[in-house]
Amino acid sequence: MSMRPGGELATRPLHFIWIADCSGSMAVDGKIQSLNTAIKEAIPHMQEVADENPNAQVLVRAVKFSDGAQWHVSQPTDIVDFKWDDLTAGGVTAMGMALGIVADQLKIPPMTDRALPPVLVLISDGQPTDDFAGGLQALMNEPWGRKAVRIAIAIGEDADQEVLKKFIANPELKPLQANSPESLTKYIRWVSTAVLKSASSPASQSAAAAASGINVPIPVVPDSGGSSADDVW
Amino acid sequence: MNIEESTLQWQVIGQSVRGAVHQRTGMPNQDAICWRPESGIGSPLVLAIADGHGSPRYSRSHIGARLAVEIAAQLIHNFLTSQSDYNNLSLIKRAVEEWLPRALVHSWIEAVSEHLTKNALPGVERSVRAGNRNDESASESENFTIAYGATIIAVAVAPAFVIYLQLGDGEILTVDDRSQVSRPLAKDERLFANETTSLCAPEAWRDFRVGFQPITNERPALILLATDGYPNSFRDESGFLKVGSDILTAIRAEGVDKVKDNLETWLTDSTNAGSGDDVTLGIICSLESAGGKSKNRTTGITRSGRKNAEPSSSSDLAGADSQ
Repeated sequence: MSMRPGGELATRPLHFIWIADCSGSMAVDGKIQSLNTAIKEAIPHMQEVADENPNAQVLVRAVKFSDGAQWHVSQPTDIVDFKWDDLTAGGVTAMGMALGIVADQLKIPPMTDRALPPVLVLISDGQPTDDFAGGLQALMNEPWGRKAVRIAIAIGEDADQEVLKKFIANPELKPLQANSPESLTKYIRWVSTAVLKSASSPASQSAAAAASGINVPIPVVPDSGGSSADDVW
Repeated sequence: MNIEESTLQWQVIGQSVRGAVHQRTGMPNQDAICWRPESGIGSPLVLAIADGHGSPRYSRSHIGARLAVEIAAQLIHNFLTSQSDYNNLSLIKRAVEEWLPRALVHSWIEAVSEHLTKNALPGVERSVRAGNRNDESASESENFTIAYGATIIAVAVAPAFVIYLQLGDGEILTVDDRSQVSRPLAKDERLFANETTSLCAPEAWRDFRVGFQPITNERPALILLATDGYPNSFRDESGFLKVGSDILTAIRAEGVDKVKDNLETWLTDSTNAGSGDDVTLGIICSLESAGGKSKNRTTGITRSGRKNAEPSSSSDLAGADSQ
């Protein structure tokens, strides 16, 4: 007897979504170039993490927001095939709209309930200029929105920390403050590798314990290096 | 109706394999499986599987899972064999719904406490007193059962009824003689995104899903119990549900023992090409539905008849090597 029972086997999808601020202020002091560089440099490291756990299929997408919000990479793309086209900056900060279009894609379907918790990385240097609360509510109305690993990176001192904290919605996890290209690269690398690795584990935990909001163990956050003369943002 | 008057005989087979991720990382299999009687054949018969939580804070969840299945199988088997009248369905149903979950949780906490007393957790100095380990008021540092956190699924087949008990994720499927696959318990919406109800949660007995199915003209041909690593290995739900009908077909075509021989390969293939999680599958099979293909089949059984023979030899008995 060699016929295996059941239908087609498949690894579990892990959706990783960059949500990137492309407002006009991101053009100042080379922020958008630094973000493009950091994400490009992170791709091979994400591929290494994916290689280490072939039972998780890492699928990457990206949303950009300025005067509106749209998918920069619309199709869930296997990290093996993922390429990054540079973002450009200009316009205002439609962060709420960005969260709304992410929420649409976290519905079941198109998501499946067998997926691993998605990772959402919100990167911003400013304050939302649209209905942020509405977009966040739409996100949190979706089961996968609530259970996603939500990480926020604040670029520069003008980033709205309170808004980013609301996105994270977990007092144990604060926005990552990047004040230089080096610290931005460090945080992008961390979320692309350590967080991705943690999220790709099939380990379960008690729902009572997860009530605090973290259903994936968050690795130790790297030190930003503190304030220094290198801080440019 | 007493045990000797039972009209149905059942056989259990099962297997648990370490997940592909755990093999790569050197972690143990955190699932467990156990059944009673140990012969794996008879009525009443109890099958239990458990899935220890894998996160780092559940460092002894593989032990918690093992304790859970051993306690559940023995406790429920003792409960059933102590019944003097299997036809008193309402009384048994009430005990199953109200008493069994509490008894199971309490027994598990006692076993965990005993294990902890003999094997202190690193850094834990305080003594362990049984009975308060998962009080709702206990903080995480006081709730020593957390390190042992696990789910539990148990199914018991008795002459007049089937009992389904589930705390946490995983699946129970039933397959009827027409190969129709269904779930005997309602979905628990809390079981999502790697989160599960657990034996280590406060007042865990409240989170059990319990089913009681009197056996009338209809009874399951097969009952399948699986930890979540198995359904998560299929691309979609229909692919997992197909397991039920496929296994019934295989048992009818080639026999229970042949299916048993293939379980380890099937489950290993599933974790390797699927979820990477530990995978456990237990199967309770009505020997009447096996169609004469089991070496262990009790002969002379009809829908209205009585069993008149025991398994031919102890070497034919399934299961001991899987536990």
